[in-house]
Amino acid sequence: MVKIDFKHSQSSHCESGVSANLLSHYGVDISEAMAFGIGTGLFFAYLPFVKVNKLPLTTYRCEVGGIFKRVVKRLGCRIRWEKFKSPEKSMTALDKKLAEGIPVGLRTGGYWLPYFPPAFRFHFNMHNLVVFGKDGDEYLISDPVFPDPVRCHRSALMKARFAKGPLAPGGVMYYIEEVSRQFDMAAAIRKGIRGVCRRMMKTPLPVAGVRGMGFLAGRLCRWPEKLGADNAALHVGQLIRMQEEIGTGGGGFRFMYAAFLQEAAPILGNARLLELSRKMTATGDLWRKLAVVGARICKGRASEDETYGGMADLLRECAERESLIYRELMEVV
Amino acid sequence: MLDRAEIPLKLNLKYLIFQELKITHMAPEDFLDDEPIFSDKLGLDSIDAVEIVYLVEKYFDVSIKDMKVARPALQSIDTLAAFIETGAV
Repeated sequence: MVKIDFKHSQSSHCESGVSANLLSHYGVDISEAMAFGIGTGLFFAYLPFVKVNKLPLTTYRCEVGGIFKRVVKRLGCRIRWEKFKSPEKSMTALDKKLAEGIPVGLRTGGYWLPYFPPAFRFHFNMHNLVVFGKDGDEYLISDPVFPDPVRCHRSALMKARFAKGPLAPGGVMYYIEEVSRQFDMAAAIRKGIRGVCRRMMKTPLPVAGVRGMGFLAGRLCRWPEKLGADNAALHVGQLIRMQEEIGTGGGGFRFMYAAFLQEAAPILGNARLLELSRKMTATGDLWRKLAVVGARICKGRASEDETYGGMADLLRECAERESLIYRELMEVV
Repeated sequence: MLDRAEIPLKLNLKYLIFQELKITHMAPEDFLDDEPIFSDKLGLDSIDAVEIVYLVEKYFDVSIKDMKVARPALQSIDTLAAFIETGAV
């Protein structure tokens, strides 16, 4: 049996949780929100040309792997990524790192992890976790969305690592190779904030950033006539699922970013960040309202005033409010 | 029409969830306090969780912004009631 002394902490979201947990293992104690913020995690894009479960992908966070990559780099650590074609070789490489006492991050298809309750299981190939040991044919796993460490049989884990479909994990594993003891936290935070402002406000693609929200709003209100009632409801279901299940309580990661701004305020010595944190929380509430209306439409229990047009209006309001926040944030950093 | 203020919290929660999420295949009283909310029995999934979080905030003035908190709170009527009463599960 191999068991690395790894501290498991539950988090709201898998990648930021894995990032914070792995860094903490090496003595860099930061919160999940801080990992998310420094890693420029917040984003928005509606990608109708990328399908997940045959429906368009909407993302409320940055590209998969981006948070971890940026937060460790900005905190002066060196990481290594490995990708595999052979499932067997990927498991052998995992075992080797565990034997060296190195906790390993994995990207997996969450649907294939048997410890997920069936009601919360769906095909999603971007689920991150940390493997910190092995007992016979079972791996010891710190899955940050669970309160306690879990176990997973080798065959199931291998299947999850090689789940098929969009954004297939392809056996990806990652681990920290070297940690810097000297890093500039304030500079890392500033870089993180600038990155989010740039991505949300200056992305040239019309489907991304605050423009992307407007783009989606324009599409969303036409879904019923264009797609038909049933298919439109499926599209809304996908929109909400990406916002809620993979996110953080319906706020589409906005609550987590608000927590980051709150933590960042004393480090940067700027009280304006506290006010911006409150504004971001209010935007998260608006996103949640959107999710609730979407959930009701999707489940066929919407009232007369809960409509696709109403959802589009909420989305436009989210875009407007967020634009103001990012403009102000750019002045702060 | 029921006056929710006059019924015990756990039953109140059951009525609220059953009514708002339009669960009609069983009576709220038949759903046990320690049964999982998200299971085949009620037919609820993670999308319904959005609405439950919202309902708790709206009717009990208890805000859940963090899924780290929401996940244990939404396990059963028992845990949800404990969370509303004490802010912890």
